[in-house]
Amino acid sequence: MNDNKDRSDYKQPQSCHPQDVKENKKSGSGFWKELVRGIIISNPVFILILGLCPVLAITNSISNAFGMGAGVIFVLLCSNVLISSIRKATPSMVRIPVFIVVIATFVTILNLVFEAYLPPLYESLGIYLALVVVNCIILGRAEAFASKNPVLLSIADAIGTGIGFTISIIIISFIRETMGTGKMELFGRQLFSVPGLSAHPLIFFISPPGAFLVIGIMMALLRLVGVMKNE
Amino acid sequence: MLKKILSNKAYPVVFLAIIVTISVILLIAVNSFTSKVVESRREEEVTSILEEIFPEMSRYELEGEVYTIYQDDIKTGYAFKASGSGYGGNIDILVGLDNDFGIIGISILSQTETPGVGSRITESSFTDQFKGLSASDIALSSEGGKIDAITGATISSRAVVDAIKDKMVEIIDTLEN
Repeated sequence: MNDNKDRSDYKQPQSCHPQDVKENKKSGSGFWKELVRGIIISNPVFILILGLCPVLAITNSISNAFGMGAGVIFVLLCSNVLISSIRKATPSMVRIPVFIVVIATFVTILNLVFEAYLPPLYESLGIYLALVVVNCIILGRAEAFASKNPVLLSIADAIGTGIGFTISIIIISFIRETMGTGKMELFGRQLFSVPGLSAHPLIFFISPPGAFLVIGIMMALLRLVGVMKNE
Repeated sequence: MLKKILSNKAYPVVFLAIIVTISVILLIAVNSFTSKVVESRREEEVTSILEEIFPEMSRYELEGEVYTIYQDDIKTGYAFKASGSGYGGNIDILVGLDNDFGIIGISILSQTETPGVGSRITESSFTDQFKGLSASDIALSSEGGKIDAITGATISSRAVVDAIKDKMVEIIDTLEN
């Protein structure tokens, strides 16, 4: 089995090229195609392996995952819309500084709003909320997609990638919180608790090494499914 | 006309400047709106934590670092903030004292200790140990004091103990003079 071949099968940056997208648009299904692509085929966490810093750090509780997911969707959507709408006026020489300023503005707004209205979430996300600025998912979508495609498709791309990211971190944090605390709490309300496990939780899972382990196993499983399908 | 602007050498600079200006204006607007909310919430937080330690409190006065607590215009105690560095970062603690400088209660305001291990410094089984102690009693029991450290979290426990002790001595000094 050739490892390189497997890689190329599902790690290609799907339809980042403007030509592909134009074809999609003619068929009228471009919007949904971009949306689904971001969630499954080029899932930012499990397939592209982008933006792992917040993924590793904040997935110790499912409330954090929801908060971070919502934040990333907001920033991604706003920055994609704005960057796409000014793409023809943006000189390529200063495009990266422009992207960074746009993204940083929305992240700072997000920070201020979270601090004012969602203080517990703001506390538990800590520095990682501000670090969304340098999250390569967002800059990556700006550079690879929004700066080359019309606004509507950029919206689809942002929603798809954002939901893909959110689903991934929810799955990881679900596993980590269940194993690491023996119970599941969402915004202060307890959803369920595992008898036996809640009295003696596997604390390892909510510590940083647990994050690596869970993400590694998830990737391996997805890989296995992908390999089996291709065969 | 449009092409002439876009190909001008100064255009990239001007464009970036415009983007930054818009960004700054937007952030000033949002900040002026949210900073009031944040400020009023911080005050509420301090009041509610003080009320936990001093349930009979009617009002407090902040002078320097010391909160003086009044109950119907009679002084019932003091409170102050202490902070020390634990295993995973800073630990902020609010300490309540009675008029004779004995501890009425403590409350951990913020901490970033290891979840499930060091983070147990916030549990009442640990914080309740401080009740009624004077500055000389505050030390881990392994070092001749009256506080039992949390199993597996000696660094976090010691950080709390040391922070409270150091600040308490300092505060009592200033109050007595």
